[in-house]
Amino acid sequence: MKTVITSEDKSFFRLNEIIAYKSLIKHLSLRDLKVRYKQTWLGFSWSIIRPLVNSIIFGALSLLINKENSISSNFITVTSVVIFWQLLSSVITDVSNSLVANSNILTKVYFPKIILPISSITISLIDFSIAFVIFIITNIFVVGLPPWQIVLLPLIIIYALFFSLSIGLFFATASVKFRDVKFLLPFLMQIAFYSIPVFIPTSKFLSLNIPSILKDIYFLNPFVGIINAFKYCLFGVYEGPPFNYLVINLVTILILSILSIRYFLKFEKSFADYI
Amino acid sequence: MSEIAIKVENLGKKYHLKHQQTDAEDSLVRSLFKGTKNLLRSHSKNAAEEFWALQAINFEIKKGDRVGIVGRNGAGKSTLLKILSRIVKPTTGRIEYEGRMASLLEVGTGFHGDLSGRENIFLNGSILGMTKTEIEKQFDEIVAFSEVEQFLDTPVKRYSSGMYVRLAFAVAAHLNPEILIVDEVLAVGDAAFQKKCIGKMNDISKAGDKTILFVSHSMQAVQKLCNTGIYLSKGKLMEHGSIDSIINRYLHSGEQSQSIYQLQKPDSATQGYAETVYIESEKGQPLMEIPVGDNWRVRITINLTQDVEHFIGGMGIVSALDQPIRTTWTKPLNIKKGNYELIFTNNDLMLTTGTYKIVIGLSSNERTFHYDDSTVSLNISDAGDTANNNRIVNTQSGLILNPMPYEFNQLN
Repeated sequence: MKTVITSEDKSFFRLNEIIAYKSLIKHLSLRDLKVRYKQTWLGFSWSIIRPLVNSIIFGALSLLINKENSISSNFITVTSVVIFWQLLSSVITDVSNSLVANSNILTKVYFPKIILPISSITISLIDFSIAFVIFIITNIFVVGLPPWQIVLLPLIIIYALFFSLSIGLFFATASVKFRDVKFLLPFLMQIAFYSIPVFIPTSKFLSLNIPSILKDIYFLNPFVGIINAFKYCLFGVYEGPPFNYLVINLVTILILSILSIRYFLKFEKSFADYI
Repeated sequence: MSEIAIKVENLGKKYHLKHQQTDAEDSLVRSLFKGTKNLLRSHSKNAAEEFWALQAINFEIKKGDRVGIVGRNGAGKSTLLKILSRIVKPTTGRIEYEGRMASLLEVGTGFHGDLSGRENIFLNGSILGMTKTEIEKQFDEIVAFSEVEQFLDTPVKRYSSGMYVRLAFAVAAHLNPEILIVDEVLAVGDAAFQKKCIGKMNDISKAGDKTILFVSHSMQAVQKLCNTGIYLSKGKLMEHGSIDSIINRYLHSGEQSQSIYQLQKPDSATQGYAETVYIESEKGQPLMEIPVGDNWRVRITINLTQDVEHFIGGMGIVSALDQPIRTTWTKPLNIKKGNYELIFTNNDLMLTTGTYKIVIGLSSNERTFHYDDSTVSLNISDAGDTANNNRIVNTQSGLILNPMPYEFNQLN
């Protein structure tokens, strides 16, 4: 096997190399997992406590706003969104931090850098799985079996992960040079949270007496589409955005992903110089 | 055996000094201000000061060679290793190499304090590029080599630094790559373990055409391990040849700034201070490494800003393990302000090879006004020209090598 090192800037997406390093992905994920709740008293319960508390708070808000719905349906809806949002936001945050957090490895040994963002999503996925299983069981007891659309769920999750990963990848690359990201990101995530249908469902938002341009902007936000698609899989009711907006969302996400992957690859070889 | 393992052509690495120093100012906002284009473009187009850490490096390394890379701090040794290990990319040039390469630029890369020894073996192994089966196959050997069996399930943050280093080196030593790159890691750990490491690296290189690149400041270690060498100075390749000629050239190069130490001025230099310390041969020639058995001297330049009563200048030698070996000082004198030179010559104590700390102190009326124990070091080496020294030197003989007078009488 021959290796050539050149002064070429650009690196390429090398799937076979990532596969060759799959045990690194596994051990980095395991490390994060094992270390995460070391020296905590509640340990893994934290994976449930956070979404639970959020669900209670936003469920209560939802009760105030959607008085026509029953208490249980309010809480179930809000909880599903909270759990899913937790997945998206923690993937974005963890991926964004993954390069800087592992700078000690990055500057001492060679490996395809994309390994770091990829392995950083494991924790979020496990957290999500735990919370989701609990949610689904509760849902079955309170409401009944989910509709047939549940089979679409894996597709939606993959779509959402792809989106969050590419956003995270952009911030991760930027944060190698600009630590501003660390301060900017929580702030952006908070804004994003209030822009998605958590306790104000899309149907309610549309019935508000506001300029139609605001409704356009609302639908152009890819998060809205993703959250509603998720709700559609769980409850069988689709609240929008309409089809043409969905296409725009899809194109937006694709363009953003391509740009952020290119940005990442462009600087991958220089990370150790800048971090 | 004459197959080429690594081929380096016109290699260069440029850093932007100013750019790196003003990193903090380079905020995201400013960059956005300049236009988003800049975010996507190379960040360093307009940087002012350029610095070539490496320039126009060409060499070829044959399969099975054990190459010592020598040069003083800042010569570009680490940069070269980092480029070879693909951690940073070169600015110019091209490298080709054959086979799997593993680099050990730091002991215990990615070790996590909260994980157990066992977990860290797997984590570290996979970071270094081993597959799961490779690690499993070597696991017992790694544990045996590291001598930490008992503590395998203890978090490594509870390890002593020696245990930590042993475990980390053990993983790396069992990597089994075709090319192994090692940077200075042997500077840690006790003498016995260092010996074991060198031994292991020797085994690795002998067992089937393994190529090793080894950076160390210890000429002793380099000479033991390597058969060829590369001598770098200020980013340029000075010589590539047999290890003996490389070490000889390095030790006798004019580049002796490691034999000159600028001391830091004390905060309140009311009476004066020691400025510079020179480590020299008996004849006043600067020496980075003193051949074992040779006499040497320490020359201290002193600047007194006022007249000093009851002045004493002193110097101490401290071993690498912080054991004071000897302290010597001048008779008290009343002296006028001005510049002075104080020379202590060592012509009676024969210290063994290794690095020693030199402590400098100046006092007036029994009150110390300048004291420095962290700047100057003294290297005694058995490498290089050892014509006048045919005694067997090893660390087991103790710190002091002076022979004792003896009588050897036959009794009826």
